[in-house]
Order: sequence, then C-alpha cells, then structure tokens
Amino acid sequence: MSVFLECHQLHKQFDGNPVLDGIDFSLDRGECLVLLGPSGCGKSTLLNIIAGLLAADQGELRCDGEVLDAPAQGFHRPMRDRRFSMVFQDFSLWPHMTVAENVAFGLRVRGAHRSRIREQVEQALARVRMSDFLDRKPEQLSGGQQQRVAIARALAVQPRLLLLDEPLSALDARLREDLKTELGALLQDSGVTSVYVTHDQSEAMTLGDRIALMKGGRIEQIGPPEQVYREPSSCFVAEFLGSSNLLPYQRQAHEVAVQGGLRLSLNGQAERLPAQGNCMLRREAVCISQSACCPGDDVIELSAICRQMHFLGDRHEAFAELENGHTLRGIADGPVREGATVRVRFPRNALRFLPD
Amino acid sequence: MVRQAFLLQRLPLLLCLGLLLLLTGYPLLILFLQSVFPQILGGSLSGFLEPYQRIAETTDLGAMIGTSLLWAGSVTLISWVIGIPCGFLLARTDIPGKLWLRLSLLFPIMTPPYIAALSYILVMQEGGFADAFLGGLPAGLRAWFFSFWGVSTVMALASFGYVALAVEAALERLPQRFDDAAAQLGAGLSQRLRLILLPLLLPAILNAGLLVFLEAISNFGVPAVLGTRSNLPLLPAEIFYLVTSWPVDLGLATSLSSLLCLMALAGLYGSRWLGQWIGGGRYRPGPARQLPIGRKGHWLGWAFVALLFLLSTIVPYLAMMLSSLAEGWQGGRPALTLAHYRELLSPGSRGASALLTSLGLSLSAATVCILIGGYIAYVGSRNRGLLQQLLDGIATLPRVIPKIVMAVALILAWNAPWIPFDLYNTVWMLLLAYVIIYITDALNYANASLQSMSVNLENAAAVLGANRFTVFTRIVLPQLGPALSAAWLVTFIVCMRELVASILLLPPGTDTTATFIFSQFEQGDISLAMAMASLTILLSTIVLVAFQLRRRSSH
Repeated sequence: MSVFLECHQLHKQFDGNPVLDGIDFSLDRGECLVLLGPSGCGKSTLLNIIAGLLAADQGELRCDGEVLDAPAQGFHRPMRDRRFSMVFQDFSLWPHMTVAENVAFGLRVRGAHRSRIREQVEQALARVRMSDFLDRKPEQLSGGQQQRVAIARALAVQPRLLLLDEPLSALDARLREDLKTELGALLQDSGVTSVYVTHDQSEAMTLGDRIALMKGGRIEQIGPPEQVYREPSSCFVAEFLGSSNLLPYQRQAHEVAVQGGLRLSLNGQAERLPAQGNCMLRREAVCISQSACCPGDDVIELSAICRQMHFLGDRHEAFAELENGHTLRGIADGPVREGATVRVRFPRNALRFLPD
Repeated sequence: MVRQAFLLQRLPLLLCLGLLLLLTGYPLLILFLQSVFPQILGGSLSGFLEPYQRIAETTDLGAMIGTSLLWAGSVTLISWVIGIPCGFLLARTDIPGKLWLRLSLLFPIMTPPYIAALSYILVMQEGGFADAFLGGLPAGLRAWFFSFWGVSTVMALASFGYVALAVEAALERLPQRFDDAAAQLGAGLSQRLRLILLPLLLPAILNAGLLVFLEAISNFGVPAVLGTRSNLPLLPAEIFYLVTSWPVDLGLATSLSSLLCLMALAGLYGSRWLGQWIGGGRYRPGPARQLPIGRKGHWLGWAFVALLFLLSTIVPYLAMMLSSLAEGWQGGRPALTLAHYRELLSPGSRGASALLTSLGLSLSAATVCILIGGYIAYVGSRNRGLLQQLLDGIATLPRVIPKIVMAVALILAWNAPWIPFDLYNTVWMLLLAYVIIYITDALNYANASLQSMSVNLENAAAVLGANRFTVFTRIVLPQLGPALSAAWLVTFIVCMRELVASILLLPPGTDTTATFIFSQFEQGDISLAMAMASLTILLSTIVLVAFQLRRRSSH
C-alpha cells in the first residue's frame, strides 16, 4: 500500500466564510474513504476540490505524486485533465443519449478505438447488471437503474480515482439498501480508489475502508469504521454515529463522578482523563430488564423506572429514568412494562470518557 | 339516460369544440375545398385541381414558392446566428446589466416588422436618411439592402429576440451537472458544446426557429413593403394581390394559401421530429454556473448587443420619428413640426377615426379572446380523451396557419352564398378575424397557468356544493387572473398593429392604424404614415408600462 491521494492543509472560503478550514488526510491506493458529516460541514466542497470543480484557496492536493492543486504556486490542474470520474447525486445522465452512448462518452472523447469502446461499454454495463438496457434513454429508466448506468459511465474510463457525491440519496429507502450492498462489492472488485460523500452513517459503515467525519470545515476524526464507532474522539462523533447516552462527568482525585450518582475508580487510569467531559455509553451496551441479576465486578447495575418503550422491529428500545432523574436509553431484555421498576445494567468497560 | 348523462357531462367540451369548428375549422375547410373545386361557391364541382395544375405549369409561381421558403429559411438562419449568442450571453456569462440587455431584446420584438421595413426604406432609399446624414451611401450597400439578403436581415432583426429569449430560458433550465459530468470524463470545451450543450438546446433552438420561420413565411408586411421594392416576389404578397387586384383569382389564391399552410405545417412537424431525433430527452431543471468572461468579454458582449439594438431599434425608430416630425428638407436637415400629429388627431379626420377604430377593435378583441380562450383552455385541461385532443389540435391551428391564409379563408366562409346575413364588409368581420387569429395567445397563457393549478382546488369547491359555473367564476377565473391579463395585454398590442387581416377584411372607407400607415406610405404621405406609426407604438408602450406598474404595485 502506498499513499495515492494527499491533502495538505486545504482551505476554501466562500464570500469570506471559511468552508474548509485546514483539511489533512492521505488515501492509499485501492482504498475507499467516506467523507461523512451533517449538511454544511464542507464534505461536498472537499469532494469538488478533489474533482477539480473548485480550486482550493490554500494548501496542496497531490495524486500519485503529482501536484493537482497548489494555490501558493498559482497551480490548478483542470478537472478534465485529472483522469478522475464522478458519480453525481442526481445521476446527471445526458438525456439525449442512450445508456450505451452515455457510458461510451468518456472513451469517445479520449479518442478510443470503436471496438475497444464497445467492449468496455459492454463490460461496464455487465458489471452493474444493465446489459439489457443498452438502447434505452435515461428517462425510460428508474432512479436505481439510472444510478447504475451513472456508475458504469464513471467506471468505464478506468479512472485513477472515483468520486461519489451522495450517489444513493436520491433513491428510496429500499433501493438504497440494495444498491449500497452492490456498490460495496463493486468497489471492492474493481479495486478502484474512491472518495465517497454521504450524510448517511450506514452507507459510511458499509462502504468505507476509513471514515472521515467532518464538522465545520474540519475533519473531526478519521479512521476505520469500527474504530470511529467504538473509540469516538469527541461528543460530536459519538452522537453522529449510532445512538448513545452522554453523561457529564467530573474527575475528582482518583475517581470519576458521573452524573447519575455513579462514582468510579478507574484503576489509576482516571488521572489521564480530562478534568471534566462526557461519559459515553452506547445504547446497545445498556441492558434494561425487569428481572434482577447478580452483578459481577465488571457490570454496573442501577435501579430505574421504565418511561418509554419503542418497538424497533428486531428488538425493543427502552428509556429508563434513574433515581436522580437522568434518563438512559438502552435495549430491553425480556418483557418490560412502561412505569415498571427496572434494572439497568452495563459493562464497566463500555464507558468512554470524552472531552467536552 | 346514460347517453344523456354522458352528453351532459361532455357539454362544455362539445360546446368549445363546436365553437372552434365554426370559427376556425369551417373557414379553413371552405378554403381547402375552394382550392380543389374552384367553382364550388357557384355550386359546381368542375375544374377539379385545376388551380394546382396552373401552379405546377407556371414556372414563375414555382420559383416564387421556392424563394419564399428560402427567404423564410434564411431569416431563421440569421436569427439563429445573432440570437443564440445573445441568449448564451444572458444565461451563462457574468456580463453586467442583464436587465438592460434583456430589455433591448424586447424592443425589436415589440416593433411590427412592416414598420421596421418602412423605416428602413426611409433610411436606405435614394435620398434617404443615410444619404442625408452620412453623405451618400455606397451603391453596393444599397443594392445589397434592396435584395434577398437585405430583406432577410430586416426581418431577422425583428425576430431574433424570440431566439435569444428562448435560448436564454432553455440555458437557465439546463443543469450545470451535464457539463461537469462531461468535463470530468475529459471532454474539452468544443466537445462539450458539440456533444452535450447543443443537442440539449436543440429543441429550444428549433422551437424558436420554427416561430421565426412561421412568422417570416406568413408575414405580409415586409414582403409587401420591401419585397416589392427589392424585386423579391414572396408568397403572402402574391396571395394578397390575387385577392385584391383585378382580375381576382380566387382559385389560385386559395391553392397558394393551401400550399402556404402546408409549408407551415411541414415546418411545425418537421422541427418537432428533428428535435426528438437529434436532441431532447426530459430532465429535471437545475442550477448553472455563470462563465466569467472577463472585462474584454464584457465589452465585446455589450458591443454586440448594442450593435444589434442600434440596427434593430434605434435606426428604424429614429427614422420613423424624424419623418413624422419633418416638414420639408432644408439644406439636408429637416425642419421640425408637429403638424402631422395635429392633423392625425384632429377630430373627424381619417387618421383619428382609424385610431379610434383600432382602439375599439383591439379592446374588444383582447377581451373576447381572454374570455373565450380562458374557458376553452380550462375545459381542455380538465378533460381527457379523443375529443380533448381534437380540441387542442384545432385550438392551436391559428398559431401555425398564416394570418393571410386565415383572412382569405374568412372572406370565403362569410361571403359564401349560403350566409344569410351581412357579416362580410362590416367591422364585425374584423373583430371575428382578430379573435380567431389571436385566441392562441390567451390559450397559451391560460394553459401554462392551468397546468400548475391543482384540480383539488376545484374539487374542494365542488364538494362544498358549488356548481360548474360557480367553480369556474369563483375558483378558476381568479387564479387565471394574472395569466389572462398578460394575455389581454399581448393581444391588445398585436391587434393594434395587425396589418394583413385588416387590409383584406376592412369594409371600404374604414381604416385601422396599420392600414392607414400602409396606404399613406404607399400614396406618398410618408410623414403622416410615420406619425401614425409613432403614435401606435407610443400607445402600446404606455399600455405596457401601465400594466407593469400596476402589477408591481399589486405584488
């Protein structure tokens, strides 16, 4: 594995408002990086800068050792010379061309030989299972089919880098789920290096080799999905990914006092924590049940009253009010009635302490 | 019972259909029959296809038809060449002052082509303004002007605005993404223009071109005024002379009219087919970036539009106003006077009565048009099926049928031996003609507005017990208001300057503004003609501005 794409201190402003505020990351060949974040976090702007649609104000962008953007030297490689390709949110298939013409376009403008174009188009369409639709016009296709063609169009030119700008968000939920799995397999098989922008965490988890979670024009945390999920670096990351409880804590000498009436001695680890912050507890780590159970050393058990139950399909989510009035959300274990006294249990090592 | 209920439910549709068949279908049918059986109005079927044989045998006529097509084609071509860059400039560049640029395109659209042609004659003729102010025009330029290309250019200057505005509107809908996606895959600017932008714009370009083509091939004013002076015989003028000058040849006139219709229809379907074949495809509109073209680009863009404005508006308007104010020429400069306007406006004069006739006719025609047009559009939009398609088809016919053809058809239809009353040779005939010719504007405006209006609004009223009449007057009409008032305005303005139907259908001794201008100019009283032209344009502009002001204050 070698570094393929490098961003160094990228900055971008729109009308004096910073949109990107010092972006640093590098991407290995064959890797898929997901830029994840709420709207307005700068993820699309970053993608557009990588694509070459926009030029950065400061910093440097390199691909395969060659400089693409270096505003300090006044250098900007135009989009069409980067040999990247992009999949757009609204598909952006040209309505006046057939499916085959759309997919062939990139090869055609690069002057590829006719027989080679044909071969590549057929190959690309077969990959996305659209071989039967060669002569259709985009308007005769469903949204999911259109996006498949758009992906084939992007892959047919064998791009150095594939950029995907929320490619699934214009589709309905069921289709999104199917195409997500397919896209994951496709990215893996083709071995293409890709950058994928989304605001949907399940897409990010499924598709990303690494996730860069963005907020306010900065990368808040970058890492493999599991790592970002299990070891969030901030409250923002913890709240954005999955469902969790955040309880304010304060460090007092060798102990940590968590709101909710919990005092923990962390075997000498407490000193390393920030003086105060939030204690994160994932929803799935919290077990709420009506029956008592003998607590072990590593399990913390609290008494509470069940306030709400939500049926999620495969399990029940329960909200339990602790004695001090604080509410924890967790997963119900067995039948739990609203209003009943319950036991709330979670393993001690499920707790994560995050700075404010 | 079931049958009765079916009829009752279709009553509005059948009513509209019947009305349109009587107004538009009947005259066109008579026209066509007359061209095939030239003696049919006399009750005989003899001479079957004889006029068409004459057309085929007379080489002059064949050549003239060819010239007409070629001429309309070149007008379209010139309009494209100058209109498309204007549209691009407005939609996709960062050129400043777009409001003014757009306004400068509206002026030539608003100017009747025959007035522009008359004014250009005053500029370019021997001893005209060009000679007076520029000290002699090169002979070559004058010869060029009074020729095929000169006449085409004058017509194109009056029509390129349609192309520019249509291209601008289409470009504003066209999402930037289409261009980005192509650039991303390595397409250069010329490849993107050729393979992406142009095919996607083609439907709009063809549509605007069709409008220009139809306008040109059916225009009577410019061929009659400039064509005759340029030795350029064109079809509409020829039909006019066949109908109006002795010996009247109705057979030839109607067969030529039918051919003219056929060309117009061929243009319509041809461009539709071409648009679907090459370009098109539906897409969701999206935003587009504006291309920075730099200071030099701004200057060039402005110079281009300014030159077009100079040629299309300033030169003809200046010539028109100067002539209307001129009283004799002293030392190459005119002495100015308001006498012509005084003469025009003095009560009881021919000019004043022409102005009053035009005003009365235009006011009533515009009002009738929006009432009937609004209702027909409403009925059409709320019905489905074969009858509705038929209604749509007949309603849009006058858009394609050249005005002169419609006028000839109306003469035949209402002067036929079986018409018991005397409609022909009264002013009412002209009102009828205006309504038939211009009802499409009201229909178009109302249709556009109805498409965005939910049927549920009406259903809500119907559920509460309102009957059809109440639903139309209380729910539909108020919402159609803005569209219909815009249609009223357009209809009023075009009626005020309508030339060909007026000149063919007016009873002797009566004038409208346009026929007054036309006849005074031809009889040599140029100042009076130009005074009337200035007055008509001024009046239209006042109405337009008043409407805009009222609309702005009500928002």
